[in-house]
Amino acid sequence: MGLFSSINIASSGMTAERLRSDVIADNIANASTTRTAEGGPFRRSRVILKPRTEQPYWRSPFLPDMLDGGAGKGVRVVTVEKDDAKPRLVYDPTHPDAIKSGERAGYVEMPNVNVVTEMVDLISASRAYEANASIVNGSKAMFMKALEIGGR
Amino acid sequence: MGIGTDFAKTVDILQRAMDASLVRRDAIANNMANADVPNYKRTVVNFESELKRALDSEKEHPALPLAVTNEKHIPNWRARDYREVEPRRVLDYLTTAKNNGNNVDPEEELMLSMQNQLMYTLLASAQTFEFGQVNLVLR
Repeated sequence: MGLFSSINIASSGMTAERLRSDVIADNIANASTTRTAEGGPFRRSRVILKPRTEQPYWRSPFLPDMLDGGAGKGVRVVTVEKDDAKPRLVYDPTHPDAIKSGERAGYVEMPNVNVVTEMVDLISASRAYEANASIVNGSKAMFMKALEIGGR
Repeated sequence: MGIGTDFAKTVDILQRAMDASLVRRDAIANNMANADVPNYKRTVVNFESELKRALDSEKEHPALPLAVTNEKHIPNWRARDYREVEPRRVLDYLTTAKNNGNNVDPEEELMLSMQNQLMYTLLASAQTFEFGQVNLVLR
């Protein structure tokens, strides 16, 4: 516990949410990319988050003091992972990337990006960012008030 | 106990309450930061009710107090020292808010953060007032 730990915790949340909105922007920008370096259509990415300090894996409301890891230190981005969902198939035989043979001939594999889902995630990330920012502002106001103690 | 009497105790209690408020703020900030982490369980901080119990115990006495005339006697009543009360973090694993195992409700956390902030401001004002009283005497 300290004067600035709540600000540090909230800023870890802001960092994570900004990365999330960056990844969402990348997904939306590539919503119709059919050609990538690894071959096949673009696959949407998602951010995997984790608390910075592990919570106890067993369920108990009260922690023995030895196992208490403190008030938590915020959130951490573990990885940015590719979503393995199947690509969307769009029938467009004249497309250069259309499948040439087989029973799916004429179909183009489009990215598994759903723009609506991405927009909803973007709103969620943006609201979470604002919530963390309001924590920072509130902490700032609190500390300014604490500085008034003893002053006239 | 009137205002200004037992100055040291008042300031001490206020300071402990402000410390607890900071611990709670850390917990709330951590809940907010982890609002999107699957299976994260929110933390809450208990302090005020414990403090009240300790402060009340200083005034209350049992109907039949046992006489303690030897150091090996066990008293049936002992006032709890408020200085032993520490803010306590508790994992809230019983409630549900979302379907990914995370039980952080952003609205609720924001309200708690606002409440906590106002409480801290109030405690800081009370501290300022206490020191102002002393300043008045010193003038």
